[in-house]
Amino acid sequence: MALFKRLIDWIDVRIGAREIVAKELTGYLLPRNINAWYSMGSILLFIFAMQVVTGILLLIYYVPDADKAFKSVSFIMNEVPFGWLIRTCHAIGSNMMVLVLFLHMLSVLFMNSYKSPREFNWLTGFILFTLVQGISLTGYLLPWSQLSFWATTVATNSANAIPVAGPYLVEFLRGSKLVGPPTLGRFFALHVALIPLGMAAVVGAHLFFLQRTGVSTPPFGQKETANQWQGDGYRYESHPGGIPFFPNYALEDLRSIFIYLACFLAVVFFAPNLFFTSDSFLPANPLQTPAHIKPEWYFLANYQTLKIFPNEFIGLSVQGAAMTFLALLPFIDRTRERHPLKRPLFMICAVGGILLWVGLSVWGHYS
Amino acid sequence: MNLLGSLLVLLLPLAVLWPLASFAAEPQEIVCIQCHGAMPGKIGEPVKLWKGSIHAENGIACNACHGGDPKDAANAMSPARGFLGAPKEAAIPAFCGRCHVGVLKDYLASAHGKALGKGGPTCVTCHSNHLVVKASLDIINEKRCSQCHSYERAKVIRAAMQETEAMIVAIDKRIAAYKVQGTDTESLEKGLFAVRNRFHTLFHNVDVGMVKKESAGIQADLKKIQDQLAALDDSRQKRKIAGAVVVSAMLLLALFAHLLRKTFD
Amino acid sequence: MEHNGRRTFLGVCLGGLAAAVAAVTVWPVYRYLAPRSTRATAARVDIPEKEIPEGEAKFFEFNGASAVLVRKRGGGLIALSAVCTHLGCIVQWEKDKQDFLCPCHGGHYTPDGVVTAGPPPKPLAKLPFSVANGVITVG
Repeated sequence: MALFKRLIDWIDVRIGAREIVAKELTGYLLPRNINAWYSMGSILLFIFAMQVVTGILLLIYYVPDADKAFKSVSFIMNEVPFGWLIRTCHAIGSNMMVLVLFLHMLSVLFMNSYKSPREFNWLTGFILFTLVQGISLTGYLLPWSQLSFWATTVATNSANAIPVAGPYLVEFLRGSKLVGPPTLGRFFALHVALIPLGMAAVVGAHLFFLQRTGVSTPPFGQKETANQWQGDGYRYESHPGGIPFFPNYALEDLRSIFIYLACFLAVVFFAPNLFFTSDSFLPANPLQTPAHIKPEWYFLANYQTLKIFPNEFIGLSVQGAAMTFLALLPFIDRTRERHPLKRPLFMICAVGGILLWVGLSVWGHYS
Repeated sequence: MNLLGSLLVLLLPLAVLWPLASFAAEPQEIVCIQCHGAMPGKIGEPVKLWKGSIHAENGIACNACHGGDPKDAANAMSPARGFLGAPKEAAIPAFCGRCHVGVLKDYLASAHGKALGKGGPTCVTCHSNHLVVKASLDIINEKRCSQCHSYERAKVIRAAMQETEAMIVAIDKRIAAYKVQGTDTESLEKGLFAVRNRFHTLFHNVDVGMVKKESAGIQADLKKIQDQLAALDDSRQKRKIAGAVVVSAMLLLALFAHLLRKTFD
Repeated sequence: MEHNGRRTFLGVCLGGLAAAVAAVTVWPVYRYLAPRSTRATAARVDIPEKEIPEGEAKFFEFNGASAVLVRKRGGGLIALSAVCTHLGCIVQWEKDKQDFLCPCHGGHYTPDGVVTAGPPPKPLAKLPFSVANGVITVG
């Protein structure tokens, strides 16, 4: 113990470690009415780290070549010891990341935490959301299965709806007229290098903005729930008399992560094919379209939206508009009130929006 | 202000979006089907029958058996392009045997084959012609056999083959179940394919003694495939046990973290 | 005091179980990364005798490493490991000089694998082989 203390002292006199701990951990105070929803971000960080680790492990055996990709994935799943575990963790982890990201966004939405001065937090979060969708979409192609191939064909084909530039854009996305080996090359580069690096950078920015603005106070259990921010000058939102991040909230984060892990591993071990159809175990065949090609569950609403409009361009525009609206939400919703129950109109719209999304997804699944 | 958009709040699209899968890569229809498919009665019938056959399932079209040019409507049925038409009864085994070489040999050596042209059965007597389906033991039945002779002997053969057939069908199902879960079943499938072929040659021997003698060896080979499947079952079972342990460990860790958190209030 | 005891106990439980889980996690990752048994290259290699004329050498993969068969002038056949005993480069056959040269640091060996010049500390390892019906079987 004395040796440990001496080691800490040795480090402390050089870099002032105790000061950082006092300021950022034990002295970093959070609102007393903070809840479990605030740990979604920590879970997401954990998932991202896990995707990076399992992804690097998969890179050891995966071959990004149209002739070999499917076989290499099958080799990982069947021959390499515990390859099935690492691959399943990576594939299910990606779905879980999208799911937890939805929960994170919903909690921010319902606690109205996106409001001034946290526009940057929302915007960087929104960019992360699109990056997660991008990394899911590009990763989907890599196993070069029937599902990969045709889902990517359908996804890239949608850019055709854009007037004038559409057909060229489709070809540019694919790197060739049809999905083929050139597509695999560019999607592979995006999936393992560009998007992960971009995500790491934007996560850094997201955390930086959190650190600068301070944690928002949940509107629940408060008498005064209006936004106190005046906009007259920069002010860190401190929480005097709050609970320390370490050890109190760190333990809550840990608890959330373990609960997440229990759910995640339950799927990995007991329902490993939850997100796979039998088409994902057949090698890609450019001459044979499988009967029912559906996108991943989180794209079903988009898929159905495109189907219900008579013109694909209108469907695409509606989605673009919805996306833009969502990105600019903190600039559009400028009311001061933050308690959702005191904002009936907001509640109706938000819940209606969720039901619409769920409805479209279910419709898309069964159509 | 936020009303209209809130409706769309969770309608989350992406730069890349999903349209209809409006393209189907249907193979180009050959001219034989274009004409005959639309014809009434006897002349159009084969197309309808063929569509339900194992040949259709495996992409074996009209010209594979009848010859001719499936791409040139004018000369499709020209003998110069190799058109053969329909074989005479005695020529049927040779007609089918161009592909099913082993079966032809077995058939010709059997009592059935020796009676060819003397009222004996040809391939189509049992398998039908255009609507040929994957062969199974069901082909040996009283109605069909008693067209020519009593069912007694056939019944004995069928009984001798029943057990092995059931094993093959069961193994086939189990392999298929693993295949759709992403298990590499290629070697299992190849193994079963070889054994099934060996077994199917017995169908055409129509020799009870032979069937009984061969069945033991075939069943031993099937047993080997079953052992491999049992090993797969075992590993999947072990994974589930490991999964139960790790999931419990995570729940326990969550509980410890929760209780420890409460000591800091 | 009781509070502290409870806290320590729970801390030990949490830390201990977490450490155990972390240790168990290392196992699959180690097994995933561990080199796979080299059954891809057979422990025996068959080479037709006529592929190696007099004075020539044939390189092949044996047991996961490089090996070479030489037919010396005069007909003597010999199988050697082609891995230089100095730093592990692969030796080359010099037909004109009838010897092996290691291109990395200039080691020279006779066709029997004996060091004649350069830094190699040991001769090239000999491999067992047999000849039957015009086929050389190494291993």
